[in-house]
Amino acid sequence: MRSKCQKIERLISDYIDGRLPEQQAADVTSHIYSCGSCKREVTELRKTKHLLKNFYIEPEAPDIYYAQFATRLQQRIEESAPTAPHQRIAAAVTRFGWQLRTQVYRYTDYFRLSRFISIRQHAVPYYVLGLTMLMLIATPFLLTHFPLENRNEYANSPSTAVHNAVTLAADQENAASHSINTRRNLNSERTMETPVVDSGSDIWKFTNDRVVDGYIFTTLEKKDSDKVPSVALDIDSELLTYAEFPAQDATSERLTGRDVLTDRRYALLLLRGINTSQQARQEYQRKRSEFRGFSHKLLDVPLEMMSVEVGYDLIEL
Amino acid sequence: MDRTEALLIADLCEGDETALAPLIERYKRMVYRLAVQITKNRADADDVMQETFIKVYRSIHTFRKDATFETWLYRIAVNEALNFVRRRDRRRECSLETSAESEYELTVCQNAQVANDPHAQAEKSELRQHVTAAVNSLPLKHRTVVILHEFEGLTHAEIASILNCSEGTVRSRLHYARKKLRILLKPYMDARTL
Repeated sequence: MRSKCQKIERLISDYIDGRLPEQQAADVTSHIYSCGSCKREVTELRKTKHLLKNFYIEPEAPDIYYAQFATRLQQRIEESAPTAPHQRIAAAVTRFGWQLRTQVYRYTDYFRLSRFISIRQHAVPYYVLGLTMLMLIATPFLLTHFPLENRNEYANSPSTAVHNAVTLAADQENAASHSINTRRNLNSERTMETPVVDSGSDIWKFTNDRVVDGYIFTTLEKKDSDKVPSVALDIDSELLTYAEFPAQDATSERLTGRDVLTDRRYALLLLRGINTSQQARQEYQRKRSEFRGFSHKLLDVPLEMMSVEVGYDLIEL
Repeated sequence: MDRTEALLIADLCEGDETALAPLIERYKRMVYRLAVQITKNRADADDVMQETFIKVYRSIHTFRKDATFETWLYRIAVNEALNFVRRRDRRRECSLETSAESEYELTVCQNAQVANDPHAQAEKSELRQHVTAAVNSLPLKHRTVVILHEFEGLTHAEIASILNCSEGTVRSRLHYARKKLRILLKPYMDARTL
């Protein structure tokens, strides 16, 4: 009987609140009819509940208090608000950050996975197993349809592509007659491609099948002359070569020293006479160290590419 | 224009300070009631109330809709009040400050209305004082659960969420609080006014 009373005692609080399930409530009711002490406890707890409900006076304040409270609170918020410009900016940035965070929270909350599917914690290993199986099945299919080789075309660095493509080919007729750099492969390990030369324009277009959507433009300009020399590498001409990937409609343009070279844009500069002019070589080295980003790209160019005759003022670059 | 609660909260999130006043208007009595009941002192309750609404103003962006705004506000108010009482008690232990809790107990009986039967009213007034004193004499944890359950009408689950404890803990605290109240109020159970 004692253990039964202890069991019932734990349920009495919920019993007088009417929160017990029907069966348990029936058990308690039948017990308290047969047990005097439990019946007395239930009765007294009911009376206690009644006293609390009817005789406990909840604190209340006069309306004037609430009116004053609102004013005081407003003042306190204003006092704590930032006043200096930098504080206002900081507060605005913080508020914006919080707003952004709130939006992200709402968004992620709206699209949370558990909203769409029911995830049970004990089933997580099965989910992982299923996902692994799916990946094992899907991988051969993906490799068949999307071979890695295709994707590596662009994975090759643009500089490699440039090296593949840029061959300093000269005019078909005059190439052989000029001894300097008329045909030179920038990277001897690469196969040299024969360029298609559009001799009717200022732009020589080099194509290379190995470079997808890539074009090499070569501009030949004669110093102090508006005319483009018919000979590719005239003794007084400068050869400025650059490549741009993968824009097909890229136009030829001179690079300037302030140009920002990105991974998709490389410049190859043929400087005439640097090897013959010690002063010009020193100047080049100095400039190269100054334009660190630019010269870094130029480092891709073998030094012998500079073996031309006329010094080039790098300030013009 | 009467803005809905959701709209007020959204506006407050966006930094519209004017949305705070209607929210205060709606919940000021609830927060005040809780603060006085937990701190047992009106001046302290005022501090708690200010801190609560300032916290609401500053942390409204952390409010997520997995709970109602009312429950969220309860959580802030109750925690502010509990922290306040703990800090105050620590201060008192250090400085031997005298208790200011009696203020609320004494002022409670002022609310008793004067009616036709002065004797019955006096008896009722006395009973009210005893009931209030009994509740106020409970330990802080038990008193908080009694206030939230008996007077605010919150469920065990809601109280558990507010106090960041399990439903079993809430049930247990409520049970022991009731048992203690039963002993304290036993002399008044046979009163004529019951």
